[in-house]
Amino acid sequence: MTLAWQQDQKRVTPDDVQAVTFPVTRLGRRGYDEEHVREFLREVERELVTLANEKISLWNEVERLRKRIISGMKQGDGVLFGREDAHVHAVRILSNAQLTADRYVADAQAYSHKLTAEARTRRDEILLAAQQHADMVLEEAQSRARQAALATLDAPAGQSLETDRSALKAELAYLRTFGEVYRTHLRAYTEGMLRSIAEWERNEAGAIAQATADARNQIDPGRH
Amino acid sequence: MDASRLRDSFSKIVMHGDEVPLFFYSDLFIKHPEVRDLFPISMKAQREHLIGALGQIVAQVDRVDDLGAFLQGLGRDHRKFGAIAAHYDAVGDSLLATLEHFAGDTWTPEIGADWTDAYRMVSGAMMAAAQADEALGPAFWQATVISCERKAFDICVLQVRTEPRLDFLPGQSVAIESAHRPRLWRYYSIANAPRQDGTLDFHVRLIDGGAVSIALAYGQAVGDSLRLGPPVGVLTLDTTSRRDILMVAGSTGLAPLKAITQQVSELAEPPHVHLFFCAKAADGLYDLPSLEKMAAENHWLTVVPVVTADRRSDGGKGILPDVVTRTGNWSGHDAYLAGPTEMVREMSARLVAGGTPRERIHVEDFGWSEP
Repeated sequence: MTLAWQQDQKRVTPDDVQAVTFPVTRLGRRGYDEEHVREFLREVERELVTLANEKISLWNEVERLRKRIISGMKQGDGVLFGREDAHVHAVRILSNAQLTADRYVADAQAYSHKLTAEARTRRDEILLAAQQHADMVLEEAQSRARQAALATLDAPAGQSLETDRSALKAELAYLRTFGEVYRTHLRAYTEGMLRSIAEWERNEAGAIAQATADARNQIDPGRH
Repeated sequence: MDASRLRDSFSKIVMHGDEVPLFFYSDLFIKHPEVRDLFPISMKAQREHLIGALGQIVAQVDRVDDLGAFLQGLGRDHRKFGAIAAHYDAVGDSLLATLEHFAGDTWTPEIGADWTDAYRMVSGAMMAAAQADEALGPAFWQATVISCERKAFDICVLQVRTEPRLDFLPGQSVAIESAHRPRLWRYYSIANAPRQDGTLDFHVRLIDGGAVSIALAYGQAVGDSLRLGPPVGVLTLDTTSRRDILMVAGSTGLAPLKAITQQVSELAEPPHVHLFFCAKAADGLYDLPSLEKMAAENHWLTVVPVVTADRRSDGGKGILPDVVTRTGNWSGHDAYLAGPTEMVREMSARLVAGGTPRERIHVEDFGWSEP
């Protein structure tokens, strides 16, 4: 025998198992031990009773849940009226889960939008401040350079200028001294020459007078 | 299929708003849990796309010629998301269940048949396009980051190598998915003309709160892997034209125009290219040194930096269209514009007003395609 559960076959009930008899083999004691078969059938009977009870309680549970789902939906927004079944209910549950997921993604995206937008604004502010600062520094540097250039024209203040200037000064002093010495020399020389000329003139004049007197004496010696 | 009955049915269903796509995706994921993994964690944008696409399909359902290109694009697009033929049946089942659910008492077998026919037409066109596309290239390219160079605090240039080699036209874009943001794809223009070594440059600007741009601009390290979709886009060089070229780039809109400029430099007789590179502040002109170097080496290239809102800059100050139109007469030029949508629209309008024929103004048009 088989314990098949197909719809088109006769279902085995615990009573069937209770009532079943097996033909005893003709050769007396050969075949199944009857007591063991009886024991097994008692077990099958217990099992079938348990299954039947479980089935009834599961069916009641299904009915209870079905009623709860339908009444729950009727209290809902009503879009799914009239065609409520397990599939539609599943669709609804999945749709809600999807909407929740969509909301999480949208929230994360909105947050990231806020963060990047704020970062962009902050960056622009920092850049603007830095540019203004750079402008200020540049302006200050330019005005300082301008002042320095003007100051150089009036009185050079640079280190190298100072060196150049003292070198020039020394050279100038040398030239001035040299000029003075040279002028003194030249003046002394010139004065010396003038003195010599005057002396030469004086000597010349004396010599001419002497020569004239000598010549007169030689021409007229008796007049002495 | 009765198109007006279908539209009538859709208009009633769509009144339920976000509930409709919410139900659809939950139904799909319960019946086919393995499909969930093809979608991002947050489904909000996804649901909006679904309703948008359904709306467009229903509006044009009786004009298959108009709808064809849209559906083909959609089908090709879905390859990189990992969609396979089996998924189309699953989606069809859940779509029908969703429509029936929201139609309530107004659902009839005839309306059901209308929707079934419409979906068969849509999925057929998408699958055919996807299948035809398989012969042309892979669903996506695996890419490895070779370098990421921070050009400004919010701009990063990524260089990647793909496997296999990715062929494209200068000016085109690809969708990028970072492993840090699975299932989120965003379009980025390739910033170079095709190179011998097959490497690609991308100019990534950090968008406040942008899910993918943050990952790409700050989260990538050398050796990280990305996935790239197939190249798309119509902002490409008109090689039949011999006219001079005006380019106007706003921020990272420079990327496609730089690629096109590199393509021009390989022409036998390059036309004159006048490139305006515009940013809000001077430090937004992130790629100016490389452009100026290029201009110094190529007599046919003029680069004009424009800063729209910087108190320190005097050159080229003011609203971009003013600067461009003040600089010259562009009515005889081909124009290539890329950058923020608003900038491109204003610039385009000004050029048309200045006599540039509209068909000579090249801009990118992604349609709905942003996934």
